[in-house]
Amino acid sequence: MSFSTIEYRKKPLPAKVGIAGFCLLALGLILILLSYLTDSDRSAYNNIIGLSFLISLGVGALFFVALEYVAGAVWSTPFRRAAEFISSTIIFLPVLFIPLLLNLNRVFSWTHPLPADKSLIGKAPYLNTNFFIIRVIAFWLIWLIFYHFLTRNSKKQDESSDQQLTQKNIKLSAAFMPIFAVTITFSAIDWLMSIEPHWFSTIFGVYYFSGTVLASLAACTILIVLLNENGYLVNGLKPDHYYSLGALLFAFINFWAYIAFSQFLLIWYANLPEETVWFLTRWYGSWKLISIGLIFVHFIIPYFGLLSQPSKMNSKRLLIMGGWILFSHYYDLYWLVMPNYSKEGVLFGWPELGFPLFISGIIVLVIYYKTKRENLVPIGDPKLRRGIDFRL
Amino acid sequence: MGTADYSQEIQVIEGKPALRELDDLISKPLESKPDKKFYIALSITGSMLGLLVVGLGLTFYYGIGMWGNNIPVGWAFDITNFVFWVGIGHAGTLISAILFLLRQKWRTGIARFAEGMTIFAVMTAGLFPLIHVGRPWLAAYLFPYPNQHSLWVNFTSPLLWDVFAVSTYLTVSLIFWYVGLIPDLATLREKTGNKIKKVIYSVSSLGWRFSNRHWQHYEMVYLILAGFATPLVLSVHTIVSFDFAVSIVPGWHTTIFPPYFVAGAVFSGFAMVQNILIIIRKIFNYEHIITLNTLEKMNKVMLLTGSMVGYAYAMEFFISWYGGVEVERFAFLNRALGPYAWAYWTMISCNVISPQLFWFRKIRRTIPVMFVIAIFVNIGMWFERFVIIVTSLSRDYLPSSWHIFVPTYTDFMILIGSFGFFFTWLLLFTKALPVVSLAEVKAAVDGAQPTQKDH
Amino acid sequence: MSEKILYGCTALFDSPDSVINAAAKVAEEGYVKYDVHTPYPLHGMDKAMKLKPSKLGYIALIFGLSGASAAMLTLWWMSAVDYPLVIGGKPFFPYPAYIPVVFEITVLSASIATVLSMLFFFFKFPNNIHPLHGTRYMKKVSADKYGILIQADDPKFDESLVKAFFENTGAAEVDLVYWDDEEISHNNSILEPKFLIFLLAAAVITSGATYVSFNKLLYIIPFNWMSEQPKLSAQQASPVFKDGFGMRQPVAGTVARGFLPYQFTGQPDLAGEKLTNSIPVSKRSLEAGRVNFDIYCSPCHGFYGDGASRLHGQFPNPPSLHSEKIRNWTDGRIFAVITEGQNVMPSYATQLSTEERWEVISYIRALQRALNAKESDLK
Repeated sequence: MSFSTIEYRKKPLPAKVGIAGFCLLALGLILILLSYLTDSDRSAYNNIIGLSFLISLGVGALFFVALEYVAGAVWSTPFRRAAEFISSTIIFLPVLFIPLLLNLNRVFSWTHPLPADKSLIGKAPYLNTNFFIIRVIAFWLIWLIFYHFLTRNSKKQDESSDQQLTQKNIKLSAAFMPIFAVTITFSAIDWLMSIEPHWFSTIFGVYYFSGTVLASLAACTILIVLLNENGYLVNGLKPDHYYSLGALLFAFINFWAYIAFSQFLLIWYANLPEETVWFLTRWYGSWKLISIGLIFVHFIIPYFGLLSQPSKMNSKRLLIMGGWILFSHYYDLYWLVMPNYSKEGVLFGWPELGFPLFISGIIVLVIYYKTKRENLVPIGDPKLRRGIDFRL
Repeated sequence: MGTADYSQEIQVIEGKPALRELDDLISKPLESKPDKKFYIALSITGSMLGLLVVGLGLTFYYGIGMWGNNIPVGWAFDITNFVFWVGIGHAGTLISAILFLLRQKWRTGIARFAEGMTIFAVMTAGLFPLIHVGRPWLAAYLFPYPNQHSLWVNFTSPLLWDVFAVSTYLTVSLIFWYVGLIPDLATLREKTGNKIKKVIYSVSSLGWRFSNRHWQHYEMVYLILAGFATPLVLSVHTIVSFDFAVSIVPGWHTTIFPPYFVAGAVFSGFAMVQNILIIIRKIFNYEHIITLNTLEKMNKVMLLTGSMVGYAYAMEFFISWYGGVEVERFAFLNRALGPYAWAYWTMISCNVISPQLFWFRKIRRTIPVMFVIAIFVNIGMWFERFVIIVTSLSRDYLPSSWHIFVPTYTDFMILIGSFGFFFTWLLLFTKALPVVSLAEVKAAVDGAQPTQKDH
Repeated sequence: MSEKILYGCTALFDSPDSVINAAAKVAEEGYVKYDVHTPYPLHGMDKAMKLKPSKLGYIALIFGLSGASAAMLTLWWMSAVDYPLVIGGKPFFPYPAYIPVVFEITVLSASIATVLSMLFFFFKFPNNIHPLHGTRYMKKVSADKYGILIQADDPKFDESLVKAFFENTGAAEVDLVYWDDEEISHNNSILEPKFLIFLLAAAVITSGATYVSFNKLLYIIPFNWMSEQPKLSAQQASPVFKDGFGMRQPVAGTVARGFLPYQFTGQPDLAGEKLTNSIPVSKRSLEAGRVNFDIYCSPCHGFYGDGASRLHGQFPNPPSLHSEKIRNWTDGRIFAVITEGQNVMPSYATQLSTEERWEVISYIRALQRALNAKESDLK
């Protein structure tokens, strides 16, 4: 099947993007090192926030690639590569978790439980350093394997246009879904929930998942809109495609709010001390403002920002809301992690900026280099024409 | 088997039938007199309905003592049936509202029927909160009306949230269904020769003229209703889950209940829809409208939601161990190994294991097999609610308070009778209203829309 | 045949493409009072007809938000202002618990408002009388054809021009539609008499049914508000006892709560020797004694115990309590009089408990001292 009617010209991103990426990376790295040398505990906590954020983006983007295959969606095919590029940040996860694995006892009290703490000792079969390290590495390898095969098939298809590759990817994606659910859940339990090891919530994995999906979708949206507005993608993409992105973002904003509210309401209502302790930590002192702020930042503002139909199709609005949502996901992770370190009140300063800058640098550089080497549009994909012709 | 061609869109309606053919095919059951098969079916469901009437009559006259409920198992079959039927209703709204928002064209053949099923399922479900209060004639007390006792209802109780949620759900589903029916009623109005039917259709179609100026507003309202119905359906089963999750009963108080219940509702609902649709498409010859592809997609949805339910089981189990709370650990071991273990393992095999067969394409596309799997899913989902409610209540904190629940004949009469109630409404619906949405199906036929120019 | 008034000119088309092209042309030509009729909505027709987007979204938003605020406000008023109750230890206004109800009401109000506005304002429905109903055009357009109608009251309308225009656009059939006599005078307003009568009838039937069911039906067993219960009420016969009486005497020897036996019946002087005032004299006990004295003793003995009461003047006069005799009586002797009565005075044992009698006695003593004050009392 010839696809010569689809107009796509591969062109690399301007050099200033690469330079910007390097600057972010370097600045971030300097801040991280400085903060590690001055206050290692605080740096370790920020490391966790950063790691969770990058997992959200990378593995979440891979989730979207798989979702497209499994659902048979066509509207996202013209820009699936954007998600694939973002998912390649999975390769760089060890940069963030290896320092943590060497510093686990700075954050996790279950690494050294008091002998009188029967509860923690009871959890030791799961919460012990060795098993933890095995899990972290195993999850990373699993994600890496799926990333590798999914993107390799996709790339191969650019040349061969072989429909068998789509079928293979569909099977891989179907297998990925349950594995993703389990790995992302336990990754969240390990890195985020076990910071407060006496606390537990069955919905925590779903909570992290909702934030993950939202953040990765926002990142993909920003990338797609920027690329499309500057002519890096195919001609013929219409407001209908933007609308689909905006509608998905809107839907997942609601989903996050729903999950967050469920978790809160149930624990508030039953008022059991072993559960409320977690929320009380986040209601103490100036954390109260951050908690109330979370509702506005993560729900109310993006909700009204993307409520109307025209707003979902507007490129500028999508960029602003996408950026805002990324910020709100970081805010969410900060709210999940930091109160356990700084119980007296909000702690925000230059150490907290190190990891966001570093991660932004990674993302920008990854996209820059990927765009140089690979097509931004899966020109060999059989669904591409239908994707471009997609109308609501 | 060769590879599918992903560059071609699979047609939702097979064969490109003429629009007039669709009109005739879909309105045929409405124009013809009911045949013997219909009467046989109606007599079966009618006798089941009769069982319900007897069961309810006994309950009203003699009281809740006719049921097997005791202390501590204050909720048993009544609430199990309630959650079961509300869950089944959710598939309908998911198909009509959520799949609409996701622009999935394959919903067109099944949306009308599914919405009707929602309404009847919610009506059936609504019976149970009414009858389990003991003095159902005082049900008006549930609503916050100004009264001489100066009393208001307890708005912090999830049981009251249920009242608002289920009544809102029924109302909005009815509105949504009716709005969808207006164009079809107008088509029938123009088509029919029967004088009485013409009057009925004229009144109920409100004078719809198929004007595009109206279609524009109509589509906006449909979108808005779908946009509201989606969070509504999620909220309704969430609120039902809150009935359990806000308590401190071990096995009930877990934060994952809301999304777990919603996934379970969609799961059981799709199983019921699939079962009924397989029968409907055969009887009415709708195989090219409700295609095998549609059925396969429904099976995929069952696989997805069944896996979500399985995930929730696993999470509950893991966290009950992780949390270290002794009562919670016991609650889950008790489910698997205690006196109701038979119910638990029925649930696991029906809900977790059987839908996993849908990984295989052959099974997804073989009708008898998928039919049986869906029946298992229905059974399994009923048992899931039973397990959650009865095992947790029969053995909670204090062993001296433990007590077994044994259902009575009245319980069974009401259970079977509820199916009779539901299916009777459904049967009557197939004869009174078009089971497939005429306007939507016509719009989805190949060649029904103008060819796209750049616009 | 009477002169029929033209409503408009219709054209039928066979395919979606032809009708959408024709519609675009109609809009370009400058016709304003025209409409397109299709059995299902065609994508792109709104744009071809140059229609402005529907405003129903705003209605949903406004009514949704007002529903939400009204609900939250009402819930707050009911639970924190009108009848606050402490439920589950939660505050009077536990707003997380109110979110589910508020959400449901939001959805309900927005949905109902949107649909009703669509029907009544935008469509001006129900409208069962319209020139197009029952025409061959409507029959076709509701089934499998697509149509365009240009109304006769459009400023650019000219019968022959319009017919030619339609033929140019490739219409399969061109036809004329006329007003029916009843449709001309039909004024589709919400205040139409038929509709109002219908509303009235509905209101009457609903209230009648409600009245009958709440006031009549709901008193049928077992819906009778527990007014008939198997327990034994006063005055009812009982099959359990031989004599058939439901009301029984208390068992012999039953004693009322707080009962203390009075051993000096008929022996007031002995009571005067043996009994002592058990209530210590205090401001409280004197005040209590005063209250009871005013209630029970003053009608006969007067407010100051001097016999100047309403009954003074009737034979026999109630005595003054300030006589030498009574002032020399012990507290116990007075107690015996109150308990058993003497002469015309009845027993006040049922009206005053033993404590209350002692308090009254203390008060009498105070009165006596007041009316017979000595110099030493001033100190």
